[in-house]
Amino acid sequence: MNTTHYLIAGASHAGLEAAHRIRLVDETSPITMVTRDAHPPYSPTILPYVVSGQSEPGRVVLRKPDWFEQHNINLVSDDELVAIDEAQRQVTLKSGQQWQYEKLLLATGADPIIPPIPGLEKTPFHVLRTMQHAVALRDHAGKAKRAVVLGAGLIGMHGAENLRHAGLEVTIVEMCDQVLPGYFDSRAASVIEEAFNDNGIRMLMGSRVVEVEPEGEGCRIQLENGDSLETELLLVATGVRPQLDFLAGTSVANDQGILVDDRMRTSADNIWAAGDVTQATDFYGDKPVMMGILPDAVTQGAVAAMDMSEDHALKPYAGGVPINTYTFFGQQAISVGQSMAEDGIEELTRLDDDNRGYLKILLRDNQLHGISSINQEMDAGIMWQLILRRVDLTPVRDAFIERPLETGRALMSSTWR
Amino acid sequence: MATPALKMKMKTAGCAQSIVCDGNEAAAWAVALARPDLVAVYPITPQSSLVEYVSQFIADGKIEAELMNVEGEHSVLSALHGAALAGGRTYTATCGPGLAFMFEPYWRTPGMRLPIVASLVTRDGITPQCVWGGQQDAMTMKETGWIQIYCETVQEVLDTTIMAYRIAEHHDVMLPVNICHDGNYLSYGVTQVEVPEQSAVDDYLGEKNINWHVALDPLRPMAVDPLTGGAGGPGPGKFVAYRQGLCEGMQNALGVIEQAHSDWADIFGRDYAPLVEEYRLDDADYALVTIGSMTGAAKDAVDSARERGERVGIIKIKTFRPFPVEAMARALKKVHAVGVVDRSVHYGWNCGPLFQEVLSCVYRTGKPIATGSFIGGLAGADLTETHFTRAIDRTAQLLAGTEFDGPVWLNEND
Amino acid sequence: MTAYNTIAFDPSRCELCNDCDACITACAQVKSGTDNPLHSRIKIVAGFNGNDPELALCRQCGDPECVKSCPSTALTKNPETGMIDWEKSLCVDCLLCTVGCTYGGITYNATLKHVAKCDLCDGDPACVKACPSGALTYVTSASIFNEQHEREDLFVPGLSACQGCNSEMIMRHSLRKVGPDTVLATPPGCIPGMGSVGFNGTTGTKVPVFHPLLTNTASMLAGLKKQYNRMGRNVTAMALAGDGGAGDVGFQSLSGAAERNDQVLFICVDNEGYMNTGMQASGSTSYGSWTTTTPVGSQMKGKRTGQKNLAMIMMNHNCEYVATASTAFVEDYYEKLDKALEASERGFAYLHIYSPCPTGWRFPSSQTIEVCRKGVETNFAPLWEYERGGELRFTHSIDNPLPVEAYLNLSGKYRHVSEEQLAHIQEQVNERVKTLKRFAGMN
Ligand SMILES: Cc1cc2nc3c(=O)[nH]c(=O)nc-3n(C[C@H](O)[C@H](O)[C@H](O)COP(=O)(O)OP(=O)(O)OC[C@H]3O[C@@H](n4cnc5c(N)ncnc54)[C@H](O)[C@@H]3O)c2cc1C
Ligand code: SF4
Ligand code: SF4
Repeated sequence: MNTTHYLIAGASHAGLEAAHRIRLVDETSPITMVTRDAHPPYSPTILPYVVSGQSEPGRVVLRKPDWFEQHNINLVSDDELVAIDEAQRQVTLKSGQQWQYEKLLLATGADPIIPPIPGLEKTPFHVLRTMQHAVALRDHAGKAKRAVVLGAGLIGMHGAENLRHAGLEVTIVEMCDQVLPGYFDSRAASVIEEAFNDNGIRMLMGSRVVEVEPEGEGCRIQLENGDSLETELLLVATGVRPQLDFLAGTSVANDQGILVDDRMRTSADNIWAAGDVTQATDFYGDKPVMMGILPDAVTQGAVAAMDMSEDHALKPYAGGVPINTYTFFGQQAISVGQSMAEDGIEELTRLDDDNRGYLKILLRDNQLHGISSINQEMDAGIMWQLILRRVDLTPVRDAFIERPLETGRALMSSTWR
Repeated sequence: MATPALKMKMKTAGCAQSIVCDGNEAAAWAVALARPDLVAVYPITPQSSLVEYVSQFIADGKIEAELMNVEGEHSVLSALHGAALAGGRTYTATCGPGLAFMFEPYWRTPGMRLPIVASLVTRDGITPQCVWGGQQDAMTMKETGWIQIYCETVQEVLDTTIMAYRIAEHHDVMLPVNICHDGNYLSYGVTQVEVPEQSAVDDYLGEKNINWHVALDPLRPMAVDPLTGGAGGPGPGKFVAYRQGLCEGMQNALGVIEQAHSDWADIFGRDYAPLVEEYRLDDADYALVTIGSMTGAAKDAVDSARERGERVGIIKIKTFRPFPVEAMARALKKVHAVGVVDRSVHYGWNCGPLFQEVLSCVYRTGKPIATGSFIGGLAGADLTETHFTRAIDRTAQLLAGTEFDGPVWLNEND
Repeated sequence: MTAYNTIAFDPSRCELCNDCDACITACAQVKSGTDNPLHSRIKIVAGFNGNDPELALCRQCGDPECVKSCPSTALTKNPETGMIDWEKSLCVDCLLCTVGCTYGGITYNATLKHVAKCDLCDGDPACVKACPSGALTYVTSASIFNEQHEREDLFVPGLSACQGCNSEMIMRHSLRKVGPDTVLATPPGCIPGMGSVGFNGTTGTKVPVFHPLLTNTASMLAGLKKQYNRMGRNVTAMALAGDGGAGDVGFQSLSGAAERNDQVLFICVDNEGYMNTGMQASGSTSYGSWTTTTPVGSQMKGKRTGQKNLAMIMMNHNCEYVATASTAFVEDYYEKLDKALEASERGFAYLHIYSPCPTGWRFPSSQTIEVCRKGVETNFAPLWEYERGGELRFTHSIDNPLPVEAYLNLSGKYRHVSEEQLAHIQEQVNERVKTLKRFAGMN
């Protein structure tokens, strides 16, 4: 039986930040990290750029082997957590290895959802979450001429753009009638859609796939409206969902993701969870939410680690705030917090003459509720903090509405000194 | 038989040379022989020539010590504290107002259990402004925890100053010692003295170990003098333990002083009564109690009175702190009346301080002894055979049952 | 570990309100060859509601959030320079770094079409050179930590000082630097009051430590040092004394030891009074100060006399080394401590450290360093040093001081000060600087 003090499953943003934080206060207790990947740690966010060839797999390694050595962290790669015995504080890996832990962090991220589309099971298609996926997709893209992307979420949009950069004819099929729902309002979404259209990507919004079937090298895709698409390459990007099979037999409560409190503790003793695998407190509401964004994975990893290592500086998790910094064909769409006004929310919008610049501020009781922009300079990190800290903007309200950038900078800088 | 003041053994083993000098120079010779590490000086009459001699000895290499010319007595003793805590043997001398200015560190020295030796070339108190001898300065300090030993002769100043290191540094004692010699009379009185041999003194004093019990040394880090006491926690008990330790050290000193003197007599042939000297006391009906250099004249007066048929003797105190209660009571038991001659004043009791302490011992004898206080020799005034004859007469009247109120001021008509 | 440099900003000196944008233009020039402020990586923004200006600039963080948010490894902290390096060839323009950063330190540049951030101009920042008012300075920021964190803190944890106590900071910094071959004297006052010598047989210090009398610190140490010299052992005799024990009742022994040039490292922690015993005035208490023995009433408005300038008096003893210091300028203090320590091997070294006291001076415990800083920046507590035989040398510019109110306003002990008193204090500050300048050979 192998033993370790801290066992971290997952070696991506949440897991790596956790290991780093633990080492800030606990230099000696053994840390072991287990990752499913054979490839050294990388970010899933980089994968679309691997697909386009802009990024090379060898140059996107988040932590080199010497980092693990320096921090005295044992990294077990190419293996997978498959079962947890919470009473004995033991885990079993796919290889059969068993580990005894004192504290366990689950930071295993999320896996692509495979939609129940008839015919999909017998059709070759791609997903994009791991380096293996990316390399396979890149290699295939090199040979293909046409690509269809199912889903206009983050992964789909990034995937589509990069496939376009790789020289393919690309079509996006999305059930909703706008891209990136939840992050951007319809006006911003339309600017994004326009850019995609302008760059030769076919946008089939509000379309449903009813069936797929293999055809030659590729496949044929049947839409609900009767149209059909032919393609050599199919990328399924209809969302992600944590894979939680390893929880079987444990008392770890879960819904869509693992339920955690504001210190990232699960319902089971000595087990924490962080990152895309969790369903954590919502900053805006009472129901726990799936976040699935990188900055949040880092934050949750930090909170979990501080709690695990009993770091007194711990500040409980303030709740998830949706954030998106989206660059598409040289333009930027940024959104921090809520993007849609509801009751009790004051909405202020500004549109540039050429219709390309756009700014929307949502205030609730003179606190920032959300801000989104297109092609405007924007310090997303500052806005995020203004929301999280519920900074009262009353004394600077006019200035903030007039010049959110400068005012935000002044506010943050004054808290720093 | 009375204990003789000085048993002269001719041709003693430890004698290096015979010189003619005053008490201040004799003390300087003793310092040279004791090999201190650090001497700090600040001049004051009538001590000044003493520190001049010591400084010259250091300048001449006769004393291999660090000399600190300090800006005042307060710092003099403070520097000695520092050196002693670092393990050094130390020396200084002072008196009168200088001693008063030194009071703050002086008061603290016994509590720190630092075996510092300091000569007090005793001087009367001010005011009236006065620069002459008297024991008011030393007597004022009697409640501070220093050992106080009073010398009678110049030779005794030399010998006792060396003995002081043996006493102070004894591990059962670890207390500072004042060797008191009378300003003017002993400081400037010139006689012939024997200077012991260095090697014999080295043997007599042995290896020094000054800071085994309390030290400021990075090799043995400790906190010296944390705040101790208060009304709760371990404080009160700890404070009492320190006080008890100091009292114990004081009491231990009595035996150590005796031993130091008898060893001295064995090596150097000069045998002094360490605590209380009895002179012509065994067949006496009454006695004078004396202290310091006045005793010489008192002895002459007693000798003369004896010739007249008076059965009178002398009880001389040498060690005043710790007070030799047993030795004093033993001596007192032999007589029916005593006249105590003080060279200082005990304010508020209208008598001399020595008188007050002798009185406490009378109770211990379990017998009624008539007592009277005499005060003389203040501010450098001479105490002659005539003065002591007067004291003897008055004490004889006491014996006959004529008591008197208040002290007899021996110099009031001078 | 190497020391890192960074750009420090002093908003109270910034001339933005007078339309100065020298730094922004200078940065835009070196980065783009144009004056377009959009190309500047340093942005000075107006403080809201008339407050001092604020700064948006990369802080070259120690635990940088931008780096953690970057999926491409384009951002890294350079272990040599401490700088956050950005590698263009790796960047994928995702802007996630701008989410991590809360200072506006890394931002998207629409002309360049990628993010841009301050790179300290390879160690010679153009903005600092361009700044006409001294608001921007290029300082070695983490050097203190880098150099000192390996050294042992030779005081025990949990000394019972007040929250925000500057003296405790001075003690810990000083002894940590001076090291274990030291005998430490802490005369009565806040320092043993917080437990340096401990209570009832316990100790608060890991080196030999003692309570001298309030009056005899310097002479006790002098004797001790002499004895160690005699024994051929190198032991530092060090004092951490309050201003009362140094300059009032203990002054005679201090002066004597300085005159004899005894080998002592004497550090005076000046909190302008007897704070430990309930905030009574000392000779070091400044004019106008409220204390419990210079109270404010109808007949008296705080201390009626000026403060004794102990550091200057010590300089006139011609000691080996004399300097003033402040915890707001710790690098400066460490340099002086080094020199003083070395000087104490030759003779008497005296350091006078201004030590604002949150409890006795009535300011929030979070403001200690700010009070220290303003003391220096108003010339109320100028920083200088003097080496035997040399001239006085200012170690922090005395030019363009802030008005003395900027310092007085921070502490409750000056709350009652009238216009006339204020003018008097300003006058005293000016006079003192004038005197110091004469010693510095300046006019
Ligand atoms: C194409 C793409 C684009 C994206 N773009 C953005 C973006 O623009 N902005 C944004 O904020 N976010 C974006 N994201 C999301 C972002 O990458 C994730 O939120 C983030 O990576 C979550 O980090 P995590 O550590 O929680 O999980 P992951 O990064 O998913 O890492 C999970 C880790 O767990 C390991 N693992 C999984 N299962 C097991 C197991 N059973 N046993 C052991 N190890 C296991 C994996 O090998 C991996 O190391 C994107 C994601 C993708 C795929
Ligand atoms: S860019 Fe921001 S987060 Fe990154 S180092 Fe600079 S200040 Fe810190
Ligand atoms: S914009 Fe570039 S530097 Fe910033 S996070 Fe993305 S890849 Fe990293």
